[in-house]
Amino acid sequence: MSDTFVQALDWIAVLCLLAGALLTLVAGIGLVRFPDLLSRMHTAAKPQVLGLLLVLVGLAIRLIPVETNVFNVGTLALVGLFQIVTIPVAGHIAARVGYRSGRIQHDLLVEDALADRIAEKERAQEEAERQEEREQERAERTE
Amino acid sequence: MIEPSPPKSIRAMGLRRRLGKIQISVALGMTLVWMLLFDAFQLRPESLGLLLLGFLASVAIMLVFPLPPIKPGFRFWPVQGVWMIVYITWKMFVASFQVTAQIFTPGTVHSSVISVKQRTGSDLMLVCTAIVTTVIPGSVIVEVGQAERELFVHVLGADTEEKVRNAEKDVRALEERLVRGLGTRADIAELEEALASGEERV
Repeated sequence: MSDTFVQALDWIAVLCLLAGALLTLVAGIGLVRFPDLLSRMHTAAKPQVLGLLLVLVGLAIRLIPVETNVFNVGTLALVGLFQIVTIPVAGHIAARVGYRSGRIQHDLLVEDALADRIAEKERAQEEAERQEEREQERAERTE
Repeated sequence: MIEPSPPKSIRAMGLRRRLGKIQISVALGMTLVWMLLFDAFQLRPESLGLLLLGFLASVAIMLVFPLPPIKPGFRFWPVQGVWMIVYITWKMFVASFQVTAQIFTPGTVHSSVISVKQRTGSDLMLVCTAIVTTVIPGSVIVEVGQAERELFVHVLGADTEEKVRNAEKDVRALEERLVRGLGTRADIAELEEALASGEERV
């Protein structure tokens, strides 16, 4: 490979690494700036995914001209793949637990379809319980 | 006389049941991961051994930890699949910049939790849509209603009716791309049907 080509690859790699690092920095700032759990989730799981991918791409480009025996492009691809697949799982669990245990600020939500749905379900459940009680009373009365 | 030992036959039956749980496609996927881990995609004699060893290891893993099969399964449609990957990558870039802009705009950021109904019945498509929605910045899955096929998505910065509708449209577009890229024929037919009836309603 010619020298200029390797140099060009180097520059692309450096740009990718820098962009990735910047996105991760942005994610950190977002963590400090946002007030509640749900909005913080966005920054914790997100610009960071793209940031990580960019860093991995940068590393992969750096690895093309160099032979290493420790790790290779395949390893980087695996890192990216499993990050993408597992981040949503952890994020979903955190969001769900946070929501269900009431650790969110409702005044920050403009529209909340889930709260409506949960209220609806609770109402239906209460209705069913009341129905059951009434039936029991009726049964006792007939006895 | 003592009965011919029954535990042995039970064990054999258990083994046969477990062997039935082996899915070749999943085993091949695990072999691929193994090959990537050991950098086996090079022309050298060890690669063949690594391939064999990886396949044996994945079969052994499936024997020890049997899992239920992925039922309707998926298939990769080359053209739509590539288009899907490009679409997701593009969305990730755009949305990353949007979230970055939101972080640096002063003032409180208001959000919404919206519910999006899925148009396909496959669990795998539901999971894929949920994962990709979460990976794309600005939206997090809060809750999944599996029975109602509904995703509850927390959208950052959606403080007007219009933005909420747009976010809903985005998730629906994403589902369409995923089903067209990875769905089985039945999934795609279901989606087409929903699209046709939806257009009639509008």
